[in-house]
Amino acid sequence: MSGSTRSDFASVWSLYLWIGIGVAVLVFGAVGFAVVRYRERPGRAPSRRAELNLLEGTVAALILAIVALLVFRTFSTEAKEDDSSAVGAVRIDVDAFQWGWKFTYPGEGVTVVGDSDHEPDFAVPAGRTVSFALTSSDVIHAMWIPGQRFKKDAIPGRTNRFDLEFGTRGREQGLCSEFCGLRHSNMRFGVWILSQASYERWLAAHR
Amino acid sequence: MAGGAPVSRLAATDHKKTAAKVGIASLCFFLLSGLLALTMRAELAQPGLQFVSDHTYDELFTMHGSGMIYLFLTPAALGLGLYLVPLQVGASQVAAPRLALFGFWLYLLGGLTMYSGFLTDNGAGDDSWTATIPLSNSSGTPGVGMDLWVIGVALAVFGSLLIAITILLTVLRLRAPGMTMLRLPVFSWTMLVTTFMVVASFPVLVVAMALLLAERHLGGVFTGSTGSIVYQHLFWFYGHPVVYVMFFPFVGAVAETVATFSRKRFFGYRALVVSLLFFTALSMAVWGHHMFITGAVKNQYYSLTSTLLAVPAGIEYLDLIGTMIGGALVFRAPMLFALGFIVQFLIGGLTGIIVASPPLDYHVNGTYFIVAHFHYTLFAGSLFGLLAGVHYWFPKATGAMLRERLAKASFWVLAAGANLTFFPMFFLGYDGMPRRVADYEPRLGDLNLLSSIGAGVIAIGVLMVLANLAVSLRRRVPAGNDPWGAQTLEWWTSSPPPADNFTTLPRIDSYAPLLDLREREEEAAEPAVEVPA
Repeated sequence: MSGSTRSDFASVWSLYLWIGIGVAVLVFGAVGFAVVRYRERPGRAPSRRAELNLLEGTVAALILAIVALLVFRTFSTEAKEDDSSAVGAVRIDVDAFQWGWKFTYPGEGVTVVGDSDHEPDFAVPAGRTVSFALTSSDVIHAMWIPGQRFKKDAIPGRTNRFDLEFGTRGREQGLCSEFCGLRHSNMRFGVWILSQASYERWLAAHR
Repeated sequence: MAGGAPVSRLAATDHKKTAAKVGIASLCFFLLSGLLALTMRAELAQPGLQFVSDHTYDELFTMHGSGMIYLFLTPAALGLGLYLVPLQVGASQVAAPRLALFGFWLYLLGGLTMYSGFLTDNGAGDDSWTATIPLSNSSGTPGVGMDLWVIGVALAVFGSLLIAITILLTVLRLRAPGMTMLRLPVFSWTMLVTTFMVVASFPVLVVAMALLLAERHLGGVFTGSTGSIVYQHLFWFYGHPVVYVMFFPFVGAVAETVATFSRKRFFGYRALVVSLLFFTALSMAVWGHHMFITGAVKNQYYSLTSTLLAVPAGIEYLDLIGTMIGGALVFRAPMLFALGFIVQFLIGGLTGIIVASPPLDYHVNGTYFIVAHFHYTLFAGSLFGLLAGVHYWFPKATGAMLRERLAKASFWVLAAGANLTFFPMFFLGYDGMPRRVADYEPRLGDLNLLSSIGAGVIAIGVLMVLANLAVSLRRRVPAGNDPWGAQTLEWWTSSPPPADNFTTLPRIDSYAPLLDLREREEEAAEPAVEVPA
């Protein structure tokens, strides 16, 4: 994949959100109109019309068109995010456990481990693709980096692969978002997004 | 309920009495599970741990969710159907009344079993309402409390299944002469499709719970790299249809309420029936959207089927609003709750479309955004629909009217409380708060406090509803057969209905036989108009 999940998310999100708000305004407006316009008044007999299948068909077709648009955007973004075949990417193996994380940089001789008492921080270079291989040694966890608008399950016996590209430098908070037992609330980690030079210094310091 | 020794009362097979038992039991489980939610909101009002330990908190959210889904909303929906469907189709009894009663006892036993976990050393079940493998196996969650949870779920769900079967049979086999399938009242249609889903999906959960129990005590069931995924497939094959089991009956209740208080027959009946069938079929094909982040399902397929749900849901909204357009709307308490359902459920429905998109779900899955989404469907939606139904049919079931002003006041308090509690949760989830945590980052404190205050407001609203029920039963204002000017057969008979439901039946040639009757009377009363040549 190329580009960040954060920007992918933002464009799909705004499409869904604005269509949702539009539909809500339309429905609230229609309910409001009915409530004001058709409240019971003396001398007004209710209509006896009980069916208008042309209207039903039109509305169904309109919604179907919106669904087609949404699904099309979703599919193209999903295809991009599910593609984890980037070459020359930074590789990080992540092992989740009750209740902490182990980040290993294959071939670099670097491993960072931490648990709910000492949350681990790992580092990535800004602007480069980072390929994660995520698994768990005990129960199901999920690795969530809210700043990247992305998470994936860590499942024992399976490896989930995904690529992320981190933009803005600084520290982002990550956490477990799949209930995994007693210390789930405190199963956190940090990601330092560094320049290439600082990233290499960080690697050297952690060898 | 008056008269008869206690034993004969407990063994009575009349569908109305069984339904009343289901209603009372589910109300008790609602109050218990609601108290757990209030305790959670008290803990979450501020960051850090104040009142409960991590372990207690896990029990709280597990038993809150399990109680509300397995022991409150599902049985309450089926109980409403058990009471009303025989009346709406003009039957003197439910089909297989003893099976329905047996179903009630299994459900009650299941609920008590699940809750009895609190009395054991390790406490009650604490793996959330989904009990994901491998966390829920014997090494992940040792203790009798979790076993009691598994057995309790199996019993309660099996009991609900039996009740649903009797409702399904009643619709298919016991309709009065003239009551064709396309004259079935809207509520009965929603119950029919609900019980279809129950019959197709609930047995899978009973089996999953049996397998989970075997896994816990014998091992070797959900093992290897696929075991946890297989369990999730079994669970969600039940777990998504049940969402609509807790939705359709309340759409039906709202539809009846809206039609009656619009003084107009339900708009778009046949389109609604088609949309319900389409919805039901789709409901069996969307479960994988709960597994988008597992990397183990074809996300595109489940995204497509889930997003398609917008079509039948849109038709339902069109028909509800179309019923009001051109009507003569009367804003009695049941109508307010129905309008609350329509407006608030929409927020749950539209955010449901958002989470049906995997790239969006990758961010909000497992967070408070999801908690907000499904509380808008289940609390701000389904519970308001249930309350519309309770306020609408209470006079029928008891022969007494509810206090109107208190009912309206309770509606406004509950609506304020629901939105105050659940709207902030959308922002909390988006901003980084996962669900099922007793503690969170201090920066999220303000929104959490707001949400906790809302929970207190909800509690006041619930107390007002309870007070109304108590006062109205004590100092009775007689209701008569049909206090609302309603349209379906249950309003033809006395309130409460006699043991065999009906002594006579009117002509049935549409889904609104009592409205037909009034319209024929009006036409007969109108002076003949000369037709110009």
